[in-house]
Amino acid sequence: MSDPLGLIGSQSIRPIAPLNPSVGGGAAGGPNFKDVLLDQIEQVNKLQQDAQASIEDLAAGRRDDASSVMMAQQKAKLAFDMLLQVRNKMVAAYDEIKQMRV
Amino acid sequence: MIDGLFNSGSMPVLERLVQFTEARHRVLVHDIANLSTPYFKPRDLSPESFQASLRDAIDRRRDGDNPQGSPLEMLDTEDMTFSRDGIKATARHTNEGILFHDENNRDLERIMQHLAENTMAHRMGIQLIRSEVSMLESAIRERV
Amino acid sequence: MFGSLDISTSALVAQRTRLEVVSSNIANQSSIYDAKGNYAPFRRRIPVFSPGDPTTGRGEGVHVSRIELDDSPFKMRYEPGHPHANSEGYVAYPNIDSTMEMVNAMDASRAYEANITAAEATKQMIDTSLRLLA
Repeated sequence: MSDPLGLIGSQSIRPIAPLNPSVGGGAAGGPNFKDVLLDQIEQVNKLQQDAQASIEDLAAGRRDDASSVMMAQQKAKLAFDMLLQVRNKMVAAYDEIKQMRV
Repeated sequence: MIDGLFNSGSMPVLERLVQFTEARHRVLVHDIANLSTPYFKPRDLSPESFQASLRDAIDRRRDGDNPQGSPLEMLDTEDMTFSRDGIKATARHTNEGILFHDENNRDLERIMQHLAENTMAHRMGIQLIRSEVSMLESAIRERV
Repeated sequence: MFGSLDISTSALVAQRTRLEVVSSNIANQSSIYDAKGNYAPFRRRIPVFSPGDPTTGRGEGVHVSRIELDDSPFKMRYEPGHPHANSEGYVAYPNIDSTMEMVNAMDASRAYEANITAAEATKQMIDTSLRLLA
């Protein structure tokens, strides 16, 4: 089965790397959290767009490997759900910090 | 904002696909109904010509400023006119098969195959729209 | 979408009518009197289909436009003692060939099945569309 978009084998949903626990955030040469997050968002967005494009191509008869298109679509959905949940957790953590009395 | 929501991703493409399969289903059912009608010649809508104009529209959309958020502009063809909420299509004679003694040139197996393919294409379109909608919904609700 | 079901139903009705005509032909293959009791051998009935559905008034679908009589000659059987035998001793019997009627009956029931399948496909499509709401 062809997979011109290379969606199936792609390792794009990497777990978000743990933040460097050192005080000061993003120190010691590691990537800072913001960049990691933005990078993940960009990846999810790319996955989505590729899945959408593959669906369009399937509908238009440019490809007929329905299974890999469905696969790409489900992967994009999963990645999106993952990102959404991470974002929810983050907002929750932020809320918690906000309510902390110093 | 709202238009962007409905035109997001492959939604407009899938919408056209579902509209086309419904129109074609009607034509195929009519062919089956007239299996034993003398002088009747089966008609069909050509999926190839539909897909060709779909490809065209997709290409034009991709070349635009907002490749996955702008509406899909389908151009009318000789057989099909695309309105905002449907497809008006003229079915053409298929001109294949043996002409029977009653001058009907039915080809039941072929028609049934088309019917099955068409039903599956319709189902696929609906399923994909469903999962697209559920993704947008989870984005709106902020819940997985 | 519901229109497609109308189309299939019109064909089911038409094929059933055809089957009824065939049954009546087979049943009457020896009837030589009409309903009033006069001597008139039964003539084979032929249902004639044409596209279009008068019940919905649309061009799609099929209906039995006429039921015609078969003008081919009656079958002559040699029965000299028969009250309706002609001068040479032959009696006119209906121009019905049961083999042909059976073939027609099979054709009608196969066509009926094909339309049932089409109706099933329509129902399935409506069903999938309904799942959009779920």
